Amino acid sequence: MGIVTDKLPGALEKVPGGNVLVTRFDEIINWARASSLWPLTFGTSCCAIEMLMATGGPRHDLARFGAEVARPSPRQADLLILAGTIVKRMAPRLRTLYEQMAEPRYVIATGACTISGGPFIYHSYTTVRGADEIIPVDVYVPGCPPRPEQLFHGLLTLQKMIKEGETIREPGVRRKPVISALPEGITLEDIQGEMKELLVKENVVDVQHAVDKLKWPSGLNEQSSGKSGANESGAGDGT
Amino acid sequence: MEREALQAAVCELDAAVSPLDANADRAAVVVEASALPAIVRRLRDEPQFAFAQLLDHVAVDWIDRGQFELIYQLYSFKHKHFLSVSVFVPRDDPRVPTLCRVHPVAEWQEREVYDLFGVLYDDHPDLRRLFLEDDWVGFPLRKDYQDDFMLDRPR
Ligand code: SF4
Repeated sequence: MGIVTDKLPGALEKVPGGNVLVTRFDEIINWARASSLWPLTFGTSCCAIEMLMATGGPRHDLARFGAEVARPSPRQADLLILAGTIVKRMAPRLRTLYEQMAEPRYVIATGACTISGGPFIYHSYTTVRGADEIIPVDVYVPGCPPRPEQLFHGLLTLQKMIKEGETIREPGVRRKPVISALPEGITLEDIQGEMKELLVKENVVDVQHAVDKLKWPSGLNEQSSGKSGANESGAGDGT
Repeated sequence: MEREALQAAVCELDAAVSPLDANADRAAVVVEASALPAIVRRLRDEPQFAFAQLLDHVAVDWIDRGQFELIYQLYSFKHKHFLSVSVFVPRDDPRVPTLCRVHPVAEWQEREVYDLFGVLYDDHPDLRRLFLEDDWVGFPLRKDYQDDFMLDRPR
């Protein structure tokens, strides 16, 4: 089991005989999507060694973030980790792969090459200058190659974006792409320390904290707070 | 065979072979284009050379001299020695006989050099592009290649 970085969003209500979990579909769905990203193995050059192999290996271990089930087939993947130079000949295939992936799909572009063409930008007859010329990108992870920690940072950024992202009312809403650069001087030990802290914190269940954290839609809040006057303010809507 | 001895022995094969004074760690000779297949066949068949494998075939664009240098790297499993055979062809008419009758692996290696340098291999069975699209115009590894896509480094 990996480290669970986030509890199921919701509020526990005590009722006689047990608890009831109150939450919203958007939150549950986004939580589930963010915690079970399935990356597609798309490594075209040197970045792939760092991004897919070192990161997936036991020392860095992508599994801790719920994204280790790398699929060789786009039909079973919803996260495209672009690792490596993209050339003109590859561009149509990349587009096809992206379109074959399951919706909703997310893209992390790692390395200078997928961001801008990187070291091959000048005097190159075939290097595509940035993956975003072909497909939309959600998170950019700079570096040549980026360290595995930087991919983790990018992945956590993406998970945050997903959780704040789509709702059922507005499906397909994309947030603006972000650059996820790891601040200088951050090491693997720092990240591991942070993860441990989270783990300790997660072990203490604090229901009131979860209730406070939860943002309700404005209408629902008024209804539940003004219980005594419910009869006057449109009881026909159903509670 | 040692490097110097091998180079000298190969040069005695034919008048079309001359030593190449390259700072290489392996013996290197220059061969005239027309004599290439015959020489390479002899290098393959004669037991004291036994160059059974064509390791690699590359080209160099010497644009100042107006020449392409075509380099064939040979290796002998029997004697464990290497030989690099160079052929110089003019840039404006780069033609050389194919080696695929001697070493079948040369077929794709020559297609690659044709693809990127535009060297024409006489008598090649299937001289098509290997990496680039079939409708690509020009040969991008030539030093004077330019197209609309290429960016120049700002000065
Ligand atoms: S960004 Fe650097 S390490 Fe990554 S694929 Fe490009 S050249 Fe290789």
